[in-house]
Amino acid sequence: MTAIMDGPEATKVSDVIVCRDVHKWYGDFEALKGVDLTVEAGEVVVILGPSGSGKSTFIRCMNRLEEHQEGRIIIDGIELTHDVRNISEIRREVGMVFQQFNLFPHLTVLDNITLAPINVRKWSRDRAEELAMKWLTRVGIPEQADKYPGQLSGGQQQRVAIARALTMQPKILLFDEPTSALDPEMISEVLDVMRDLAKAGYTIVAVTHEMGFAREVAQRIIFMDGGQIVEINSPENFFNNPTHERTKLFLSQILNH
Amino acid sequence: MAQTTVNPPGSDANIPPPPDEQGIGARVLSYIFDIRFLGVLGQIAFILLLIVGAQRIFSNFGSNVDKLGRAQFICRDGRFAYRCAYDFMETQAGFDIDDTVLDYVNTDSFWWALTNGIVNTFRVGLLALVATTFLGTVMGVARLSENWLVSKLSLAYIEIIRNTPILVQLLLLYFSVILALPDIKDAIQPLNLPIYLSNRGLIMAWPQFMSSAAIWLAFLVLGIIQFQVMWVYLSRREEKTGRESNKFGWGLAGFLLIALIGWFISASVSDNEGLLIADNARIDEVDDFDTVMLSRAGINHLSELETLPEEEITAVTLDVCVLRESSSEANFVNRLARKGIPFKISRNGSPAKAMDNYVDGSCEMFAAPVSILAAERATLENPNDHIIVPIDEQPLVWSIPRFERFNIIGGATLTPEYFALFLGLTIFYAGGLAEVVRAGILSVSKGQTEAARALGLSEGQRLNLIVLPQALRVIIPPLISTYLSLMKDTSLGVAVAFQDVYLVSQTLMNQSGRALQIMIILMLVYLAISLFFSSVLNWYNDRVVIVER
Repeated sequence: MTAIMDGPEATKVSDVIVCRDVHKWYGDFEALKGVDLTVEAGEVVVILGPSGSGKSTFIRCMNRLEEHQEGRIIIDGIELTHDVRNISEIRREVGMVFQQFNLFPHLTVLDNITLAPINVRKWSRDRAEELAMKWLTRVGIPEQADKYPGQLSGGQQQRVAIARALTMQPKILLFDEPTSALDPEMISEVLDVMRDLAKAGYTIVAVTHEMGFAREVAQRIIFMDGGQIVEINSPENFFNNPTHERTKLFLSQILNH
Repeated sequence: MAQTTVNPPGSDANIPPPPDEQGIGARVLSYIFDIRFLGVLGQIAFILLLIVGAQRIFSNFGSNVDKLGRAQFICRDGRFAYRCAYDFMETQAGFDIDDTVLDYVNTDSFWWALTNGIVNTFRVGLLALVATTFLGTVMGVARLSENWLVSKLSLAYIEIIRNTPILVQLLLLYFSVILALPDIKDAIQPLNLPIYLSNRGLIMAWPQFMSSAAIWLAFLVLGIIQFQVMWVYLSRREEKTGRESNKFGWGLAGFLLIALIGWFISASVSDNEGLLIADNARIDEVDDFDTVMLSRAGINHLSELETLPEEEITAVTLDVCVLRESSSEANFVNRLARKGIPFKISRNGSPAKAMDNYVDGSCEMFAAPVSILAAERATLENPNDHIIVPIDEQPLVWSIPRFERFNIIGGATLTPEYFALFLGLTIFYAGGLAEVVRAGILSVSKGQTEAARALGLSEGQRLNLIVLPQALRVIIPPLISTYLSLMKDTSLGVAVAFQDVYLVSQTLMNQSGRALQIMIILMLVYLAISLFFSSVLNWYNDRVVIVER
């Protein structure tokens, strides 16, 4: 079933995400049925799959927004257990961008970004604001720093959310369908930022429906269905030459509509 | 088939004729059913209704005033005038209020009695308000806890409290919990603390300010200013250098240091307290009591007192006169108690009465502020046979409750009535507030919590920085009405005979027979309380809401 399966001995120091036989149940429903994945530092991995395939659940397990009940998840050498020290350590090193942006509506853009560096990393306000402005400039909206999230467009909000995640200086970035809640004309501005980050060498795991982005940026594509990884492949092979029947069906459905 | 439904272009078959070409009947009807006409008609009808209603009320009022008679409006010189409606308030109240903060005796005026009632209302209402806010928030958060037991306990509390009437809870609390506490001689004393719980209420140690406290309080203010300055200075330095410092710790240390220095300075400069005693008693300072006591009892050490038979102890016990409600008592008594010297206190209503007892020998000494003692000593037959011994004082002395015969003396007492009303209001309104808090927290979307967690914020930071500030907007409007209801429900004190403004007013009505005047005052009092609270909270609400956009 699984196309690529590294054994434990295959794990390298540069592997920043190691998942081994991860299981997750919601009551009686098994959402993840033994998922294995290893991601190297600097790698860009895109997870594709039909809705309900468990792809969001999987990346949300990587920073303990969801709890996995079986198997091991090791992020940057730290095992994700029930130990709160490990959990907070991992969350500090893993940035996440959500489908619904989840900016804090009662704080300005700048305060949204500096909140965690000041309260979690214990930086001085000056240092946090300096880096925050650097990232706001990089995502192209430094002039919005003093506005409230409610005053921004969806695409701008998502770029603030990306700046917020990056100002914490994470080692890994998780994207959970970052463009799904955006109007079509705003999708490209967010994808441009993500493309930029991928080129800059960030380790990225992204769940998305943007096939163009996946084809262009991903080093590996992971196809999930029914709580399992069906196929792991390079983008060219995945789109042009899929090995698995389920993958072919999925591609024909999304590419020929 | 299309012939009946679709008209050919240019045909007017389906368009009604313009209004001025219609028949007279149809035109009149269309005026009557005109929405603008109907609106005006409704307004007129409502105004007529109002006028009729107001007229009824005023004529009713007028006839009632006639029935009540002109006696209601008699001035003190016996003449009749409506402006004298409230002159009766200056007459003597003639009834007691058991539980007052301000000095009140039954010869004071109705106004003063009413003022004491208002103070009592605030005393119980404000404390219950603070406690309700605290308990309600805790219960609301607990209700959402992932801990099964905590959340279910909170649920049980909320459901029981919200679904039974507050009056029933109050009476239950008063009669079957508080009045069921032991008699005062068996008062419960938890952990040997100076706190006694009995069916006379809660008696606890209470700080009393001495006259030197003014100096000390000035130092405390200085300490608070120092805290602010320190905080601003350290924050500036922090922002400049990025180096963390314990702002709170340093500020607090500075505050405590200044408070301590102030304490010793104000204690050493004050010389207000004194003790009037016969010159031949061989006591020139407080420490002499030890030797006098030893020679009186014929022992070598004070600890031997315990071995003496009771009547011998009674014989050597110091008889001390003090003024009722004076802080000199606590100050002097604490000194004797610390040494283990047996004493008996007799409290007097006035310096003159204390001096009578002093002269006829029923007390050996009189402890009071020096100024009073000096004036009283001058009235004695041979002033030079009596001396005034200075007594040290600290700015703050604890009045510690102690058993004396069958009663507990000293400390501060929360009466059972106050205690029951306070607890009853708190428990009931915290139940309602818990649901308000829960709804507020639930109104913050799950995504906010996820974003906070993904950024690595701790659960406490998530609650304080993200969830509660956003929940507050939803919480405040119902919180205002909870507070208002609580303040108005202090009038339920009537059920347990707590003399708040309502019960005092009721007594005033019975005493004076002027129900109308007092009802008007009472309504104004509650109206003022409510308007005050709602304006403060609305102002706060506007502040937190505007921040968003």
